[in-house]
Amino acid sequence: MNKTISISRYNPEQDSQPQLQTYQVVSEHSTSVLDALLQVQQQDPSLSLRWSCRMAICGSCGVMINGIPKLGCKTFVRDYPEQLVISPLAHFAVEKDLIVDMSPFLQHLSAVKPYLINAEKSLQPHKQTPAQLAKYQQFANCINCGLCYSACPQFGLNPEFIGPAAITLAQRYNLDSRDQGKAVRMPQLNSKNGVWACTFVGFCSEVCPKKVDPAAAVNQGKVASASDFIISMFTP
Amino acid sequence: MPDPKSASTAYKPVMSRHWWLQHRYFQLYMLREATVLPLLFFIICLLYGLFSLSQGEVQWQSWLTFMATPWVVLLNLLAFSASLYHAKTFFELFPRVMPLAPAALMIVAQWLATFIVAAGLILLLGGWL
Repeated sequence: MNKTISISRYNPEQDSQPQLQTYQVVSEHSTSVLDALLQVQQQDPSLSLRWSCRMAICGSCGVMINGIPKLGCKTFVRDYPEQLVISPLAHFAVEKDLIVDMSPFLQHLSAVKPYLINAEKSLQPHKQTPAQLAKYQQFANCINCGLCYSACPQFGLNPEFIGPAAITLAQRYNLDSRDQGKAVRMPQLNSKNGVWACTFVGFCSEVCPKKVDPAAAVNQGKVASASDFIISMFTP
Repeated sequence: MPDPKSASTAYKPVMSRHWWLQHRYFQLYMLREATVLPLLFFIICLLYGLFSLSQGEVQWQSWLTFMATPWVVLLNLLAFSASLYHAKTFFELFPRVMPLAPAALMIVAQWLATFIVAAGLILLLGGWL
């Protein structure tokens, strides 16, 4: 079946702003949006896009599909019988066509020190019970696709906001029984661009392709931040 | 901070002031936040009532008449439905922030607690008045 799709095109050397261009693709029952984009790239090799695994693991093919952030590989053309408009992820600077500059997102990620911080220099493995694993496991499923940042109006309004994925990752390590780095991460979460910049719009959790529920993590971070503040009042 | 190499050529999208009109999810979010407006009116009514009570019977009676005015009743009905909507959203979000029990159970428990407290207050105040 032939299907018309519109793709936002932007060539930094020629255009002052992105514009929509329409293409014809052959769509079958199993054709994903990423498949459709790759078909277009066959017709017009100048189309730029990021992709890799085609199975919702690498998190690189995030685009706006009819204005909603989604992974191209996990979205099917058949679900869009009317119009299908594909544009680059919102709230990020557009480098070319569907490629955005993810560096603000990556900087926020590294700012929360998303790795195990543990002073113990032991060669023995750190044992963890299933209950200790369950505390953070859901938040560990993030694939860093950045869809939650495109869904977040607070990040759109204030790019300094650490944002859903980074705060989720901070929570993921703070809740890990093997980690001792909470004290190093809390100043970031407590800051004005930390958890308190979130107003629980909750759209980040709606669009998350891995059901991580970043909105829950951010708002659990508010509880952690508040208790951190109260404890600090009573400790010299 | 954006990558300096691309900073000059990249297109920087500007967020429209009407961003919240673009999607139903955002509209419902704004509705949730806007529930504070009719509630603010109700709180002013309540404070005015307390003040009237302290000013004696004439002022109290005039407050009662004011509260029975159609537009005041209408605004307070709006405040009531807004608070119910806000409660619904709050009760759904709370189990995600404090996952103490399965979410569905917590939502039911919160509504039950609300109805029990509300019914208790109505009975208590009804008996007292």
